[in-house]
Amino acid sequence: MNKMLPTVGIIANPVSARDIRRIVAHAGNLQVTDRANIVLRLLAGLGAVGIRQVLMMPENAGIRHHVTRDLKRSVNMGERRFPDVDYLDMAVTASTDDSVRAARMMREARVSAIIVLGGDGTHRAVVSACGDVPIAGVSSGTNNAFPKFKEPTIVGLAVGLTAMGAVPPEVAFQSNKMLEVDISGRKEIALVDVAIVAERFVGARALWHTENFKELYVSFAETEVIGMSVVAGILDPVDRKTPEGRRVVFDNSNPPRHLLQAPIAPGVIADIGIDYWEVLLPDVAFPIAEKEGSIALDGERELSFSKNDQPTVTLRTNAFRTIDVAACMKSGAKTRLLRIN
Amino acid sequence: MSKNPFPLSKDDLLIAYRMMKTIREFEERLHVDFGRGEIPGFVHLYAGEEASAVGIMMHLNDQDQIASNHRGHGHCIAKGVDVKEMMAEIYGKVSGSCRGKGGSMHIADLSKGMMGANGILGAGSPLACGAGLAAQKLGHNGIGMSFTGDGASNQGTFLESLNLAAVWNLPVIFVVENNGYAESTSVDWAVAVDSYVDRAAGFGLPGVTVDGTEFFAVYEAAGELIKRAREGGGPSLLECKMIRFFGHFEGDAQTYKAEGENEYNRKHHDCLKIFRAHVTKAGVLSDEELDAIDTQVLALIDAAVEEAISAPLPTADDLTTDVYVSY
Amino acid sequence: MARTLSFKDAVNEAIDQEMTRDPTVIMMGEDIVGGTGSPGEADAWGGVLGVTKGLYAKHGDRLMDTPLSESAYIGAAIGAATCGLRPIAELMFLDFLGVCFDQMYNQAAKFRYMFGGKAETPVTIRAMVGGGFRAAAQHSQMLTPIITHVPGLKVVCPSNAYDAKGLLIQSIRDNDPVIFCEHKNLYAHEVDVPEESYAIPFGEANIAREGTDATIVAYGLMVHRATEAAENLAKDGIDCEVIDLRTLSPIDMDTVYESVESTGRLICVDEANPRCSIASDVTASVTQEIFSSLKAAPQLVTAPHTPVPFSPVLEDLYIPSAEQVADAVRKTMAT
Repeated sequence: MNKMLPTVGIIANPVSARDIRRIVAHAGNLQVTDRANIVLRLLAGLGAVGIRQVLMMPENAGIRHHVTRDLKRSVNMGERRFPDVDYLDMAVTASTDDSVRAARMMREARVSAIIVLGGDGTHRAVVSACGDVPIAGVSSGTNNAFPKFKEPTIVGLAVGLTAMGAVPPEVAFQSNKMLEVDISGRKEIALVDVAIVAERFVGARALWHTENFKELYVSFAETEVIGMSVVAGILDPVDRKTPEGRRVVFDNSNPPRHLLQAPIAPGVIADIGIDYWEVLLPDVAFPIAEKEGSIALDGERELSFSKNDQPTVTLRTNAFRTIDVAACMKSGAKTRLLRIN
Repeated sequence: MSKNPFPLSKDDLLIAYRMMKTIREFEERLHVDFGRGEIPGFVHLYAGEEASAVGIMMHLNDQDQIASNHRGHGHCIAKGVDVKEMMAEIYGKVSGSCRGKGGSMHIADLSKGMMGANGILGAGSPLACGAGLAAQKLGHNGIGMSFTGDGASNQGTFLESLNLAAVWNLPVIFVVENNGYAESTSVDWAVAVDSYVDRAAGFGLPGVTVDGTEFFAVYEAAGELIKRAREGGGPSLLECKMIRFFGHFEGDAQTYKAEGENEYNRKHHDCLKIFRAHVTKAGVLSDEELDAIDTQVLALIDAAVEEAISAPLPTADDLTTDVYVSY
Repeated sequence: MARTLSFKDAVNEAIDQEMTRDPTVIMMGEDIVGGTGSPGEADAWGGVLGVTKGLYAKHGDRLMDTPLSESAYIGAAIGAATCGLRPIAELMFLDFLGVCFDQMYNQAAKFRYMFGGKAETPVTIRAMVGGGFRAAAQHSQMLTPIITHVPGLKVVCPSNAYDAKGLLIQSIRDNDPVIFCEHKNLYAHEVDVPEESYAIPFGEANIAREGTDATIVAYGLMVHRATEAAENLAKDGIDCEVIDLRTLSPIDMDTVYESVESTGRLICVDEANPRCSIASDVTASVTQEIFSSLKAAPQLVTAPHTPVPFSPVLEDLYIPSAEQVADAVRKTMAT
């Protein structure tokens, strides 16, 4: 690919924020039209700093329809604000697999960065396949600890500056931890948390039956996030850089050893019993104590396991790169990149 | 046998499987018999969509009322309507569920909470609101449930019902069974708001989308919605994304589908196979137990067809009865 | 004890007495309480013309305002009727039939037959009908023929307060879906109405005026036009019998046959448009069944084959008048 023409990838998940948390919690649903508007704001930011090529994941849930219509209108009006948007040539399955395949294809197409619009689940899918391509996230999902909501226009500008080579890599990129789950040889990842719950079926995926919580592994633990990782954040926070994680063992007896209130889902502040917690060191495979149950990755039940599986959890450092939007903007301002004269 | 990891007892898992299998074999048999020219009229088959009807109906009792649509056989069977009477009805016999006066598109049994399949798409949603209203006013904790396809979700009746249920806070659940096709027209084209959760939100209702080929996903989500409705939490919408193995109606050549679509779906997205894989892998049910049900179901369907064929036809006297209670 | 009551108050009293008697009776409609959710009075209107005023104060939440959404709430009333309630739904004007007719003729009307006799749908749909309010083409029609055409529906159209009360009580108690048509121009009309509850059976026409020379068949407001014509003709020595059908489905043809067999002359008066009307239906039945009793060709007096006009002068021409009825009678007397 021509060095002079960097391409940025956008993976906008149309199906996140549709699950049972709209019933068991008060989770929102970012509407398809809003998602399309977020993409347009990203494109405006990218276009303003010189990005002319954007590669998007195709989907059939409406984002593409809205974006295409608006881009056409913009062209009709003689504007050249937006980059050209191409879509990956891939079949749409309307599942998380689309995000995984799109990330792989974008990596192969050597995009400079991938902007992800979605929740923890979408980010996990992208990270599982993007390799060393840096990502920048815009939160749209329900249970988001990993991506933060940032104004997409700013994200577009920051990613654009980075992709154009205008921000030094040591400023632009951050490295991140993640958790690796090994279940009888099958490897899965989680960006924030791995929860072990008693339910042994995947079902509606979300976690809300607190009486079934068994163990929790987190790569970082903040106190101001929603989701399972906040439990560790309340007990013993650890930031995104420090090379350690946390392991928490729940206690469902009455009364439990420790009792805390944690905002585990939007609008749901649950009483949670804790037995103990400890530091999780990197690169050590930690065998899951429970003999059977299911494993929730970043808040969604993904796998069930039984006695024969002996799953382990390992904390990995320097696992993938993200773009530090604030640092890019600061750098851009300092080097007068955002000034026209 | 290992500990049961599922939210249903072993007995209930067997019941659920039997129901799904009964629906499947009922429809497969109709497909064959219709092809032979043995069945009059229009027949719309539910095969492929069983996990939705059964995953939901496992939570309901006879007091809960459902308003179904043209593709109603699965809803009827899952709601407990007698399979032999249904078969006789589809054959137009006087021993049928509706004495041969309704046919495939109008099977009903109010005593079982089945308010009727319906040939008018979208017409069931207001009726389900009525069932919810009756439960609310009579003070029992029954619910109303409307089954609509992605196509009929564009009907005014459906949209008006979402609003009515919201303002009256009715114990009603709107199930959108999205199989991707309104007859032959793609949902991607025909539904302007591309998410049913968005559409529900437009009426102030919570909505949930689940994989309708996953029995346990449907079961768990439906359980939460139904519990909420029973406890006074009001209406909600459940979108089940699913697969229609056959055409819109029998005789549909399905040329609007992609090449190999049906074969691929039968191989990879068959809700019965998926269910079987889950329960056998977990060691809760064995292939032998499930195979035994398969055999029993096939025998039931055979018997239903035999009895339907040999059942008496309606007579001229039947033409003019059952119009009014009194006239 | 009888006292004079208006048609409107008779309807109100019938609903009140049935709601008091039977806790499964509920009522819904646009503005039937009036003002729900608004900053003013909770019970502001009691229906667009005040017919249900005061019922909310007595029966509370069993009366429900609805969103402006006929398909949904008429359908909900029908659904609720199959699930143990006995709902009265008000379709403000029968002209609004078009936005909810499916629920009436494809759902309520057909449940019992389609389901092999296993369903009962005891719903009453009250609706205003008829002209004279200068309400123009979409709020003035007499659409009784359309609903009478449908097997499974019962159709009632009373001409006075006494019948309105007794027939509405019967409608609410009836186990089939009933469309109860209230002529808006009769709301203020008063007759003696007993205080106690009573039901008038369906399918029993009322002889509003006895006579020997000609039979005039009418319903609703047209009963009054027919009676007025009969009184005027009496001055000329023509003695007309006026039959008030009261219910259009079921219809009491026996009373009509009996009368025509004695008079030999038939005049059908209908505020509906002429084609496929109640008038043409009655005429066809008489002609087929007792042709030999007829001394003259039956006459039909109906609205013209036009929409209802707005301008008062035009609307007065549109609605059949006593003069037109009298002319038709004279025409049959001439042969």
